[in-house]
Amino acid sequence: MNDTADAARPPAWKTFLGSPGGRALLALVLVLAAGAAFNADGAFFKIGTHRDTLRQASVYGILACGMTLVIISGGIDLAVGSVVALTAVCAATMAIHWNWPAWEVVPASLAIGGACGTIAGFITAAWKVQPFIATLAMMVFARGLAKYASGGMKVSTAVQNADGTYHYVEVPTLFRVIDHRILGGNLSMVTVIFIICVALAWLALSRHRWGRYLYAIGGNEEAARLSGVPVVGAKVCAYAASGLFAAVAGLCQAAQEQQGDPEAGAGYELVAIAMVVIGGTSLMGGRGGIGLTLLGVLTIGYLDKILSINAVPEAGRLVLTGVIIVAAVMTQRRNRT
Amino acid sequence: MSKRFAQISSFLAVALLAGCNKSDSSDNAPVITKEGREVPGAARTYTVGMSQCNLGEPWRVQMNEDIRAAAAKHPELKVIFKDAQNDTLKQRSHVEEFVSSKVDLIIISPKEAQPLTEPVASAMDAGIPVIVLDRALLGDKYTCFIGADNKKIGKAAGQWIAKKLGGKGKVVELMGLMTSTPGQDRHTGFREGIAGTDIDVIFSADMKWLEPDARQEMESALARFDHIDLVYGHNDPGAHGAYLAAKAAGRDNIIFVGIDALPQEGVAYVQQGILDATFRYPTGGAEAVDTALKILNGQAQTVPKKIVLGTRLFDKSNIAQGGEALP
Repeated sequence: MNDTADAARPPAWKTFLGSPGGRALLALVLVLAAGAAFNADGAFFKIGTHRDTLRQASVYGILACGMTLVIISGGIDLAVGSVVALTAVCAATMAIHWNWPAWEVVPASLAIGGACGTIAGFITAAWKVQPFIATLAMMVFARGLAKYASGGMKVSTAVQNADGTYHYVEVPTLFRVIDHRILGGNLSMVTVIFIICVALAWLALSRHRWGRYLYAIGGNEEAARLSGVPVVGAKVCAYAASGLFAAVAGLCQAAQEQQGDPEAGAGYELVAIAMVVIGGTSLMGGRGGIGLTLLGVLTIGYLDKILSINAVPEAGRLVLTGVIIVAAVMTQRRNRT
Repeated sequence: MSKRFAQISSFLAVALLAGCNKSDSSDNAPVITKEGREVPGAARTYTVGMSQCNLGEPWRVQMNEDIRAAAAKHPELKVIFKDAQNDTLKQRSHVEEFVSSKVDLIIISPKEAQPLTEPVASAMDAGIPVIVLDRALLGDKYTCFIGADNKKIGKAAGQWIAKKLGGKGKVVELMGLMTSTPGQDRHTGFREGIAGTDIDVIFSADMKWLEPDARQEMESALARFDHIDLVYGHNDPGAHGAYLAAKAAGRDNIIFVGIDALPQEGVAYVQQGILDATFRYPTGGAEAVDTALKILNGQAQTVPKKIVLGTRLFDKSNIAQGGEALP
C-alpha cells in the first residue's frame, strides 16, 4: 500500500526466493512441474509413484542426514556407502543365519556402523588427518570387511549345508517389518524411518548445544576452539552419528533386498553428498541445515523417478542428472554473493 | 602398500596350500614330468595359477569355487588363486608372477582383451600352457578358450518365454548394463528368440545388473502399465528385484525369468517359487580343470582351441532333477 515502504523493502516472495530454503524449494517445484508435464500416461499422478519415489530416496536420505552433520562441521564422509554394505551383510548374517531376534540385531548393527564412524572421526579429529583421506581409508576398509564377513557372496535366505546343497529359511520378521507398508499400503516403513532420522538430525542441529558447536567448528575451527568449544569431541560425535545413520540405512537396504550384499551401497556416498549440496548446505561448512537436505533428497529422488517412469535411456539420464545438479547448485551460489 | 599386502597374502596362501598338500603327496605311482623324465617314488604335483579379474562379482566367486571343487578331486593339482580386483595392470602382473614362479599351467579369466593378450603370449613363449576362461583374448596365442554364449542363452530365454506365453503377451525387459557385451548379447538374443511372435516389449530399462535399480525400474513399469504378463531380467538379482516390486504392489500373476542360475541365487529363487525360470550362464570352472588335466597329462592335442559351453534351464518342472541341459 505504501510506496516508500515497498521501495525500501523487497516483497516477501523475493526475500523468500533469496534464501537457501526458497531456492531449494524452487528447484524441487521445477522438478515436480517437469514430472507433471512428462507424466508418462498419468503414471506420475498415481499415489503409488510417490510412495515408491519416497521409498527409493529413503536409504540415500538417511545417509544424507548424517552427511549434513559432517558437512556442517566442515568435513566430509566418504565411508557411508561401504558402511551400508558392512551393516547389511552383518545384519543379514545375524538375522538370517544366526536367527538372532530383532532386539539384538538392531543394536549390534548400529554398534558396527557407529564404531566405523567413531574410528574415522577419531583419525580425522584427533590425529588431524584430512577428513577426505580418513574417510576414504574407512571406505575401503569397511568394504573389505563386508567382503570378508560375507565371503564375497550375498548373504541370502539360501543357506549352504555342509555337503554343498542349500536349504531355505524364512525372511526374518525384522526385514519384513522394515519393508512393510502402512496407512493402507500408501507409506513405506523405510520412509517413516527416514523421517525419524530427519527429526533426530534436526533436534541435534537446532535444539542441542552439540549442533551449535558443529556450526561453530565449520565456520571457523580455530575461533571455535579458542571460544572453548570441545572441537575434537564434537567432530568425533559427528562422524559417529554419520556411521550410525549409515547403519540404519544398511538395515533398510538389507531388509528391502532380503539379503546382505557386500557390493551394496557403492557410490551412495556421492548421491548423499549431492543431496546435501543441492539443498544448499555449504561444502565449506558452517552453513546449512537438515530442512535444506530434506528438499535436496526430494529433488534428486523425484528427478530419478521422473526419468525412470519415462524410460529415458541410461546415457540421457546421466547427462540430464549432471546438468540439473549444476543448475541447482548455481542458484545456490548466486545467493551467497 | 596394497601390492605388498597382496604379495604377503599370496605368499601366505601358497604356504598354506603347500602345507595342506603335504599329506597328499604319499602316492607312490611313478610319474613322468613335462621333460619326459620319470620321477620314481614321488608323485608329480602340478601347480596351476588361476588369475581371476574381479572377485567382487558373485558369479566369479562361484567360478573360483567350481575350480576349487574340481581340483580337490585331483590331489596332484595345486591351484594358486589370485584376484586382480578389477584392475587390468594388477592382473597383468599376476600373469607375470605366475611365469616367473614357473607354474605348470595358467588359467586366466581376463578383465579385458587388449592389455592382457601380450602377457599371456609371453607365458606361452615361456612354455606354460594357458586356458582362457569366459572373456576372449585377441589373436590365438593361448592353448584353449572356454566360454559360454550370451546370445545363445538370451535366445533360449526368448524361445522359452514365447512358448510359455503362447506367442502373445506384454513383457518388461530389465536389461543389464547396456554398454557391456553380456547385456547387449542377452538383449539381441532375446529379441531373436521372440521374433515372429506377438510378444510386445512394453517397457525396457537399464538396471545395470543391480537389484535396487531393477526394483525401482519395475516400480515405474507397474505404475505405467496395469497389465504385465512377464518380466525378463538379464540376471537373477534383477528379476528378484522386479519380483519384490510386484509383490509390494500386490500384483500377482506375473511370470519372472532370469539368467545366471547361480546355486545360491537363481536356482534358489526358482526353488522358492520366486522366479519361474532361470538359465545358467556356466562358469566353466570344472571344464577348465578337466582341460588342464588333459594338457598336463600330455593329451594337449585332444583339446580343442575353443569350447563353447551350453546353458541349463531351471524351472518348476525340472528343478528337482537339477535342471535340463540345453544344447
